Order: sequence, then structure tokens, then C-alpha cells
Amino acid sequence: MKLMSIAHLFLALLAAPLLLGVLNRCKAVFAGRKGQPLCQLYFDVWKLLRKGAVYSRTTTWLVAAGPVIGLAVVLTGLVLTPAGQTPALIRFSGDLILLAYVLGLMRFFTVLAALDTGSSFEGMGASREVFYAALAEPAFLTGLAALSCLAGEFSMSALSGTASLQTWSASGPVYLLVLAAWFVVMLAENARVPFDDPNTHLELTMIHEVMVLDHGGPDFAVIQYAASLKLWIYGSLLVGMMFPFPSGSPVLASLVFAGGMVLVAVLIGVLESVTARLRIVRTPELLLGAFALSLVALLLAVSAGGAHVG
Amino acid sequence: MIGYGVDMGDGWIFAALLAVPVAGMIGLTQVRNSFRLLYTLCALVSLQALVIAWAGWRLVAGPAGGLHAGWFMIDALSWHHLMVMAVVFTVSTWYAVSYFKAELAANTITERAMRRFGSLWCGALGAMTLVLTSDNLGLLWIGVETTTLMTAFLICLHRTPASLEAMWKYLLMCSVGVAFAFMGNLLIVAAARGTGLGGGAVLLSSMLRQCAGNLNQPVVKLAYLFLIVGYGTKVGLAPLHSWLPDAHSQAPAPVSALFSGFLLNTALYAILRVTGVVEAAVGNTGWALGVLRLFGLVSILVAAAFILSQSDVKRLLAYHSVEHMGIIAVGVGLGGGAIWAALYHVFNHSLCKTLAFCSAGRLGQLYGTHDMGRLKGVMARDPVWGTGLVGSLLALIGMAPFALFVSEFQIVKAGVQTGQWISVGIFLAGTCMVFAGALQHVLEMAWGEATEHHEVVRRSRLEIVLVTVCLVGLVVAGTWMPAEVRDFLMAAGRIVEGR
Amino acid sequence: MWVDGLFVVLTIANLILLGTTRLSHSIRVVAVQGVLLALLPILRVESIHVTRALFLVVLTAALKGGVFPAMLMRSMREASVRREMEPMLGFTASMALGVAMLAASFWMGGRMQALGLEVSPISMASVLFMMFTGILLLTARRKALTQVLGFLVLENGIYGFGLLVAGSVHWLVEVGVLLDVFVAVFVMGIAVYHINREFDHMNVDELDRLRG
Repeated sequence: MKLMSIAHLFLALLAAPLLLGVLNRCKAVFAGRKGQPLCQLYFDVWKLLRKGAVYSRTTTWLVAAGPVIGLAVVLTGLVLTPAGQTPALIRFSGDLILLAYVLGLMRFFTVLAALDTGSSFEGMGASREVFYAALAEPAFLTGLAALSCLAGEFSMSALSGTASLQTWSASGPVYLLVLAAWFVVMLAENARVPFDDPNTHLELTMIHEVMVLDHGGPDFAVIQYAASLKLWIYGSLLVGMMFPFPSGSPVLASLVFAGGMVLVAVLIGVLESVTARLRIVRTPELLLGAFALSLVALLLAVSAGGAHVG
Repeated sequence: MIGYGVDMGDGWIFAALLAVPVAGMIGLTQVRNSFRLLYTLCALVSLQALVIAWAGWRLVAGPAGGLHAGWFMIDALSWHHLMVMAVVFTVSTWYAVSYFKAELAANTITERAMRRFGSLWCGALGAMTLVLTSDNLGLLWIGVETTTLMTAFLICLHRTPASLEAMWKYLLMCSVGVAFAFMGNLLIVAAARGTGLGGGAVLLSSMLRQCAGNLNQPVVKLAYLFLIVGYGTKVGLAPLHSWLPDAHSQAPAPVSALFSGFLLNTALYAILRVTGVVEAAVGNTGWALGVLRLFGLVSILVAAAFILSQSDVKRLLAYHSVEHMGIIAVGVGLGGGAIWAALYHVFNHSLCKTLAFCSAGRLGQLYGTHDMGRLKGVMARDPVWGTGLVGSLLALIGMAPFALFVSEFQIVKAGVQTGQWISVGIFLAGTCMVFAGALQHVLEMAWGEATEHHEVVRRSRLEIVLVTVCLVGLVVAGTWMPAEVRDFLMAAGRIVEGR
Repeated sequence: MWVDGLFVVLTIANLILLGTTRLSHSIRVVAVQGVLLALLPILRVESIHVTRALFLVVLTAALKGGVFPAMLMRSMREASVRREMEPMLGFTASMALGVAMLAASFWMGGRMQALGLEVSPISMASVLFMMFTGILLLTARRKALTQVLGFLVLENGIYGFGLLVAGSVHWLVEVGVLLDVFVAVFVMGIAVYHINREFDHMNVDELDRLRG
């Protein structure tokens, strides 16, 4: 079992940039372009690692430390995350709260590094990022609570991979609602359309990209890589807890997991191609809507907890 | 198996009661000449009154439980209200003749609007008759909803911004209220699950009263709360009365007379009918009567507060309606001997309020305004309608020997006899406030110094007859109460109490 | 399970209604709600009057899904109003209040069972939430058309309540609700037309000349 967990960890480390490649290729196909090669992010990281870094004299150690701490934290999160039916390397009851706050810690240091540069663009991006995170967190945690209520378990590894066609037919509405809510949260946390356009070059419209505007070279490579790992974590949570898994062979489960991740990337790509970015005054409504959906799921799970659902 | 029989002899009464207004509603859209329309309206209303009289004769001669035919029924409570409706409609329709004659002469109303008026007036008559004669609570609800529909466009007969606003508020508030009443009906159906009644019979109030013991008590109580809030919006019980002053002040005078004279009472009848069922279901503990009493007391106090600060005579009369509906509700809520006094008050108030609005309407046409600051010295300028207005206002605030004083006195007496001091105390406080506040308005209007000098207006014989009949009727009702009438009212009261 | 899923969809529709500004969206959502509710009796066939139930279902679905939305859209076009701007209660606040009302509905739905009405909590909660949404739309919005929509949503909720509580397809429930909806759409539609002509706007909070 441990072997499978370690194997999945290495898979994540290796394949996370590929996920972003799939996403970008999907967007290109939609736009009728040929698009970047699937391994573009690997090439970018490799190119950036060989460059030198420039630090401003007005900044402190935070600017240099931010990306590194971010990567360290996200690797910790990866160790906590289950992958499909494979449990995580470290698991205990209540580890989902730890994961939520580990990701929060990453965001905290990114924001600190951004504020440390003293530029107004970064400050603006930091405030928006924190605003969205504050609104997205209740949706995330409520969804988690709903799933825990449904299964009666509090460890992510115990919740992951337990969904099957039977549980879907018994409590389908709960799953659907949490899926929708978590999808929105994933888009918000990973700075995707409709919350933030990763392809924009106008600083006033950026949120995540503007926070790392003054990082270059190896720091930027680390930031890109950590961002792809964060997307992988959210994706594996989504796939693990919602997708119906076949019970029995672990190999088949791993295949389903990999397929699910690709599907999630394609979905995000499709969504990015189809919708436009929302005005900033409208995003709280979307996030509140996600919270409302997950709250409905929680209420459903609680009321059905004793009565008739499996 | 619980069933209901159809007696064809009585069935004709119900058919006639409904056919007359429906025929009027359809036929009057074709009458081009407005004068002929008005006189046809009077004829139709008089015909309806005759049918009601016939129904009364059959009721007295017929079985003890009242007249039944399928989903329709007339018993003491409904006939009392039918009689009041006949009086109010007759007076208002004859009054409408003179009122609209003046408007047509001054060219302030079009022929199309007159046709609309005639048709909707008949429609309202039909809808109210439906409410009063239906045994099925669902059919009763449909009737109340239809009255809302018909009367909404009567309010904005003249399409002015203010009347449209009043109509919108009325339509919205009363539709929501009636929707709540529908919830109440649904809850009654749910409560009646254990009685074995099925299909259409489950909402028959007579059947429900018979098997009231098998109704699910908490659900029935919840149903009653919904019904009283829902129908109470149409009655104008505070705090759901905010549509009332606007609707009354903006509608033309005959329509206002109809509203206060009978529309409010229709909704109150619905509440009384349900109170009987609920009281029987909770074992005659007086719970339902207590809720009604509470609403009544709040209405009296709220109305008293607003009456003190009014400047428009029709709004003043509207708040008086709220107050008197509250008085009736308190009367019913006090139980026992006060109920028949409250029903007696229904008749007195309707007659008085019709006269008041008629007078206010004609005087408004004469002076061109309803502002009490400018309606001064009416007794001198227009003796006929001036007497009407002053007399009816004095009666409304409870001056003896008019009938309203007598019925209010009876209510207080019954309340004191059953020892409900708090209710009686609040009741007296409210009515005294109204007396003091409105008396000043009345004296100002009656004998105040007019700002300009005009010559005395002569009125037609019809109008003199109307005013005289109403005022004399009020005095007679106050001083003469034969034993048969009191027994009849007591029988109606027992139906409300659920005995 | 399908019935519960249907009620969840209805709840989400209500949440959408609370959060959207565009009137055409609102009208469509209310139409979908009406049609779904009209189909509900089919899923809970208890009565023996199958043909009558089917006829009522088809009639209600046609009216609520086709005729009434068309009339409301036409009313909207005549008054040239597309969006509900600056409502009295902001959209975020409405959504937050809606979530609170939903929790309250669940609590009340649980209590209803204690009264002896045998209904599943999610269906009762969904129906109560629909009524709350209707009342909120009626009281906290400016445009007269939105008030009419709020009334329709309230009626949908009462209809759902009637189906749950009054048992099999009782013709009274159908007729009662259809009559109310008729009032709403025809009568209010005409009223809105006249108000718009007279006032040149449809903001009901500006209808405030009559006071005291």
C-alpha cells in the first residue's frame, strides 16, 4: 500500500505540468489553433531555472523566501492528498482541515512576498486574491463537511475512492451539488477563468499573475511548478471524492484516477474557452452561490444521514 | 358514508342568486346608453334583493340546518350577510345613479368606463354572492379571489396615477393574503385526513363541523392562523390594513361604499365561517376566538391612532372601517352574548358606512375636493348630503341613539358579564380616542365657517329619499329589536361559536 | 430518489432567482419551476383518476411553461425593461438571506413531521423555501414585473405544499393555483401596462404619493 502511495506521489511530481499542458491544448483546439506542445511547461521551467534572478534593493528576504516556502508547503499538501483509491502517505482523522490550511499558508506567503515588493500592482492583486479566498473557503469546507457527513468519516483518505455507482444513485444530489461547488472553488483558487484570466497582459486585470510580477528566473520557475502542483491537489480531491471508482483492482482504480484528472483538465479548458471573465463586483455572487450549493448539500446530507440514504 | 343530498326546490334559489349577477355582467357590456345602463343596474340589484328575500322566507319555513344544495348552503349566518349585502348594494346602486349622472354631465367619465363599471359591479355582486352561499371552503376561497379581481379595476375607474397606485397595492396585498388563505385551506384538508371525508366533501364546512372531533388539532390551529392572516388582509385587520385607506380614497364613491359596506364583511364572513369549524375542533375552548379578539384590539388601536391625524375625509372613513372591523372582531372574540351583538353591528356599520361614503362622494363632487380643511359648512350649503355626512359620522363614532352605539354597548355589556376586563378596557380606550378625535372633524365640517359663499344646493327626490331612509333606518335599528330578530342573530352566533 | 432530486433542482432554481438581475432569466427560471412542479404528480401517482390527473398535468405545464412566460415577456418588452437595477435589498444580501431562509426551511420541515404530516424533510423544506423566495421577491424588489414573478413563485410553493400535504391530485389544488396564477399574469399584467403608461416607469417604490 505504501508503495502505491509513493508511486502516486512521484506521478504527481512528474505529471502535474502535463496537466496544464493538456488544459492549454484544449483551449487551443477550441480556438482553432495548433497550440503549444503538451510539455511546454517543462521547457519553461527548465529555461527559467538556468536564468539568473534579480532582486530589488527595497525588498527583504520575503521576496526570495516566498516561492521556496510555497513549494515546500505544496509538497506537504501533496503528501496529505490521496489519489483515487490510494490513500495518502500521511493520513489521520481531520487531515482535511490541515490540507485546507496548508494551502492557505501557501497563499499567505505568496501574498507576503507580493506586498514586500512595495509595488501597487502587487498590493492590488494580493487584496483581490485574499478576498476571493475568504469567500471560497466556506464553500470548500462546507462541501467537505457534507461529504464527511454522508460517509461518516473524517479522513480524506477514507473518503477518497469510496464513491461508486451505488452511492451515486443513493445520494446523487449531494454529490452533484458538492461537485459544482468544488469546481467553482477550484477555479477561484487556481486563478482560472471566470475569476482570473491567466493569459491577460493587463496588470490591472490580473490577480495571481500580478502577485508574482517581480519574480524572475528560478523563483518564477518554482512558482509555476508549485501552481501546477496546487492544481493537481485540487483535481485529485475532486476526482477522488466524486468520481465513481470500481472496487477491486488497484490498477484499474489508478487508470480511472488518471483519466479523471485528464477529464478535469479538459473541462477547465472548455470552460475557459467558453466563458468570459466576470467583473470583480460579480465574483462574490458566484462564490456565494457556490457556498449556497454546498450548504444545500450539507443540509441534504444531514437530513438524510439517519433516514434513508446509504 | 357521509353524503349530501340535492333538494331541487332549494337548488333554484342558488341558481337564481348566481344567474342574475352573471347575466348582468355579460349583458351590461352591450348597453350603450349610460343612463339606461344605470337604471338596468338598479333593476338587476333589486331583482337580486328579491331573490334574497325569497331565500329568507324559505329559510324560515325550511329545515333547521338551513338550505342545502350540493356545495351551496344558506343558514342563519349566511342569510344575515346576504341581507346586509342586498341593503348595501341597493343603496349604493341607486346612489350611483345620481353620482354618475353628475359625472356624465360634467364629462369626467367616458361611456366605456361606465360599461366597465356596470359589468364589474355585477361581477362583484356575483362573486360576493358566491362567497356567501358556498358550503365548500374551496369554492368560498374562489369567490373571495374573484372579488379581488373584480374590485381591483373598479378602483382605477378613472386612470389617474394615484388610483393606479392604490389599485396595485390592493391587488398585490390581497392576492398574497388570499394565497395564504389557500395555504390554510390546504392545511384543513391535511387535518381532515382522519375523518374519512373524501373528494369534494372534505372541504364542506357543514360536514367539517359535524366531524370536528376527528380533526388533527395542531394542524387545524396552524390552518386557522393562515386563514385569519390571509382573509384578514382583505378584511383590513391591522397590521394588514395598509391597502385600505389608499383604495377607499382613490375609488369613486359608490365603489368605496361597496368596499366598506360589504367587501370587508365578505372576507370577515369567511373568517367567521372557519371560526365555527376550528372552535368545534378545539373543543370550544375559545382559542380561535382569542386570536380574533387580539387582531380586533390591535385594529381598533391602530385605527384610533391614525384617525387623529387625518385630513382627507375618505381616508378618515377608511380608518373608521378598520376600527369597526376591529370592533366586530372583538365582539366575536369575546364570545357568548357578544357574538350576536357583533353580527348586529355588521348590519349597522354597513348601512352607516354606505351612507357616509355616499355623502362624502357627493360633497366631494360639489366642493371639488375631499380635504376636510376645505369641506366646511356643509350643513348650510348642501342640507341633504350634509345631514347625511354629519349624521353618519356621528353614528360612526358611537353617538346615541344611532344603532352603532347600541350594538357597541351590547358588546361591552357582554364582555363585562364574562369578566374580560382587559379586552373591554382596550376597546373602550380605543373608541373614546376615536370619539374625541373625530368629533372635532365633524363639527368643523358641519358648522364651520365656509371660505366662500355659495347658494344652497337643491337635491333630487331620489337623494333625499336615500338619505332619509338610511338615517331613519339607523335610528330604528337602534331603538327597536324584536325578539325574532334577536333569536335569529343568536342562532347565527351559535354557528360562529361552533356549537 | 427522483422526487428528491426534483426538489433539489427547484431549490437551486430559487437560489438563482434570488441572485439574478436579468428579468428574462428570471421569467425562464420561473417557467421551468412551474413545469417541473406540474410534472410532480406523475411521479407520485396515487389517485385512480389517471386520465384526469394527466389532463391537469398537461394543462398546467402548458400554461406555466408556455402561455404565462410568453405574456410576461411581452409585458417586459412593452415596458422596455430588461434588468432589475438597484433593488432595495442587494443581490449578495438576497443570496445570503436566501441561504439563511433555506436553513430555516429545513428546520421547519423537520418540525412539520412532528405535527403529524407525513412528508419527507427535503420536499417540505424545498417548498417552504420557495414560498420564502416568493415573498422576498415581492417585498424587496423595485420593478413591478419582479413582484409579479415573486407572486408566481409563491404560488408555485403553495402548489407544491398542496401536493405534499393534500395527498393525491386534488382538483381543488389545481384549480385554486391556476386561478391565482391567472390573477397574477392577466390581471397584474394589465395593471403593469397601465402603470407603465401612466407613470412612464415600473419602479413600485416610486409609487408613494399616498401616505398616512
